[in-house]
Amino acid sequence: MQTKVIQNPSDPAASAPSVQDTVIHTVGLTKTFGHVNALQGIDLTVPRNSIVGFLGPNGSGKTTAIKLLLGLSRPTAGKATLFGMDSIQDSLAIRSRVGYLAQDPRFYTHMTARETLEFTARFFYRGPAEAIRARIDETLELVGLADKADRPTKGFSGGERQRLGIAQAQVNYPDLLILDEPAAALDPVGRRDVLDVMERLRAYTTIFYSTHILDDVERVSDYVAILDHGRMVASSLTAALLDGDSTTYELTIRGDQQAVLRALRAHPWVSNITTAPQNGSTAMTISVTDEQAAESGLLRSVIAIDDLVVTAFGRRHFNLEDVFLQLVKDPRE
Amino acid sequence: MTSTTTNATVESPLVPVHTTGWQGGLANLVRKELGQWWGTRMWWIQTLIWVVLLNGVATVVMLEGAGRPPQEVVAETVQTFLLMGAMVIGIGVVLTIQGAVVGEKELGTAAWVMSKPASRASFVLAKLIGYSVGFFATALLIPSIVFVVQAQFLLSVPLDYGRFALAVGIVALSVLFYVALTIGLGCMFKGRGPVAGIGIGLVLVGQFFKGMLPLPLVMATPWLLGDVATSFALASPPDFNRMVPIIVTTAAALALVYLAIWRFQREEF
Repeated sequence: MQTKVIQNPSDPAASAPSVQDTVIHTVGLTKTFGHVNALQGIDLTVPRNSIVGFLGPNGSGKTTAIKLLLGLSRPTAGKATLFGMDSIQDSLAIRSRVGYLAQDPRFYTHMTARETLEFTARFFYRGPAEAIRARIDETLELVGLADKADRPTKGFSGGERQRLGIAQAQVNYPDLLILDEPAAALDPVGRRDVLDVMERLRAYTTIFYSTHILDDVERVSDYVAILDHGRMVASSLTAALLDGDSTTYELTIRGDQQAVLRALRAHPWVSNITTAPQNGSTAMTISVTDEQAAESGLLRSVIAIDDLVVTAFGRRHFNLEDVFLQLVKDPRE
Repeated sequence: MTSTTTNATVESPLVPVHTTGWQGGLANLVRKELGQWWGTRMWWIQTLIWVVLLNGVATVVMLEGAGRPPQEVVAETVQTFLLMGAMVIGIGVVLTIQGAVVGEKELGTAAWVMSKPASRASFVLAKLIGYSVGFFATALLIPSIVFVVQAQFLLSVPLDYGRFALAVGIVALSVLFYVALTIGLGCMFKGRGPVAGIGIGLVLVGQFFKGMLPLPLVMATPWLLGDVATSFALASPPDFNRMVPIIVTTAAALALVYLAIWRFQREEF
């Protein structure tokens, strides 16, 4: 299955990284439920020590993909490897190196937060008991649950469960953290805290997380992968994705607009110009067909005009919302 | 959240678990299942229910036997206790465990546990061990000890403790069967309805219709284990081979455990 992938040629992720540098690698990963194609041949590479935002509208297949990576579900076709190991055959070995937070984390309600973390830690560590206790205390402190450590999780709010979920996901110092909507149930302060934790963990682990919150992705993610209707529609360095396609420039001027238009239209590689007034200035969007010629000649031809002030110039920069809406089909259309 | 540093590279005194194969995470999961019994109110609530039910009925039978031949009263009391135990505990097992696997699948805790280095076989086996130990202790062992104490005070003929212990062991096999059955059904179905319906149905059909069915068929079920237990306790061999229900039930329980693991390994979360 062909997927439309936006990739910057200079993107290091675009060239195949070595196995040692790759934490997640999927080839044609497909999942079908009856007649529903939940995932349609996704190819994904997640480099070591990166933070990768996994974006997509509801029902696009993000959680399905995560469950396939964890061996919680079996692919209909294709293959996923984590740390170079097969997601099905080597699932146990993979899970010993992974921390996972589910979209709506649920725990045994008769256990307290501390008992939940101890139960989790015992899958990874035999002891000594004091060291496990110390690790749990550290983790509870990290997520701000130290004062609720001995309360049964039965009474926990959604936000508290989410914090406990983050705590249990990283109690084992995982090499890979897979977080399914980690900030969804949190208030703005909790959301900021989660992003801070992710930033701090960046040096020690790889983080692959799904989210709807585009601002968060722009803030912390090195890479973005966008899924729509089970297809990967973009996979790139975040910065490269937001830089756009380098064939569109934005220019803001004060002065003779007609002179600027004449100068620009004189270039055979300028294909389209749109103008819009902007607080007493004129904002222009210029499309070009020759990137190199535009790079060296566009601004030069404009600043040569007398009595003209250029207040802004550069490649058109997108925000993630623009890119997301451009790539993802509106189901109502 | 605070700014505590999480550093994976710090020298850690923690000793890692290296688990491979089917037993991955088993010890931790068994500890959790047992903790659910003995670390909560569950153990004394279950104990109270079974002591009141089994020993209460046994007391009534003992007291009603006043004036009748002591040997007859002993036989009737032992028979009531063991037959009731085999049937009522079976129902109790199904009612209590019906959500053990289905509930975890519905709630998402099974998926959470399976995201840790734990095998699916361990998940099923831990439930089997936890509930078997829990029911054996609270529904059978403690009421049996109370029964022995009751018999000391209320019956004029002493019990043969060795034979009675053997009989309790046979009822324990019945408990094990129903635990395996309920967990197996939980692995196979998505809802509690079929689990409870099939489980309780099997117990009740056995108790009410076993007399109407051909003996060779009934012998190949756990329904006769109460009678087998009674025959051992009272040293009165029945008119069928006692080993057949024992062997068949053991084999059926093992087959159910195998099926449960096989099915759970194919579960998609």
